[in-house]
Amino acid sequence: MELAQERNAGTNVIRPAGRVDGSNSADFHESLMAALSGDDNRVILDMGGIDYISSAGLRVLLLLAQHLGGSSTPFAVCSLAASVDEVFRISGFNQIITVFGTLDEAKAQLA
Amino acid sequence: MRRSLNITPVPGAAAAEALPRIVAFVEEMAELDDWAPDLVLRSNLILEELILNTLTHGRTTGLSDIEITLESGENSVAITLVDDGAAFDPLSDGLPANTDLPLQERSIGGLGLHLVRSMAEDLAYRHADGKNHLTLVARSGV
Repeated sequence: MELAQERNAGTNVIRPAGRVDGSNSADFHESLMAALSGDDNRVILDMGGIDYISSAGLRVLLLLAQHLGGSSTPFAVCSLAASVDEVFRISGFNQIITVFGTLDEAKAQLA
Repeated sequence: MRRSLNITPVPGAAAAEALPRIVAFVEEMAELDDWAPDLVLRSNLILEELILNTLTHGRTTGLSDIEITLESGENSVAITLVDDGAAFDPLSDGLPANTDLPLQERSIGGLGLHLVRSMAEDLAYRHADGKNHLTLVARSGV
């Protein structure tokens, strides 16, 4: 899965696009892990380009959040589409992963 | 409009290989009957979770067919799933998803069915004629 990425002063912003479902979630996981670096001070996943995520995709986000939590690297997601926000709320993911409305808010507040 | 799609499990094939056909089926119905975008997404999510659950959780013994029927309603779609695999009621399956646990203790088990039970309405299951029959409704804008 193709990910756009932007690194600035230790802030790693990763921007996936499209659908995340059971047919590409393994690929999504691999791409996300490859986008991380030991030099990251914090990681922001900009979900603005994702309009569909199923439990297979949530599993990948959980693994990513646990991986970054293990190294105490601040992690947040931002810019959730309404459909993705609904899935986050129902699954309780908005209580275990920090969610910001916009990328600017995430950049300003994630520490 | 009311239409059906039959999924036949292919031995050895990854369960997720069934997904593109399901997505195409939903999108074709959605276009013909002018579904709202959120109805398309919810229908896809409900079908993905239920069908991957059937195909991957060891209930493929004797499973030769899953029939998906969609019927468009007023801002809604009625979904019927009939399969001939082992009896399984997804509405009363074991533990609720652990949606209150902290990050490092969370696991993903049960989350797909939790999403379905939360997102769909009028869910009903029965086992009859050796088959699982599940009916539910996806609705737009709630």
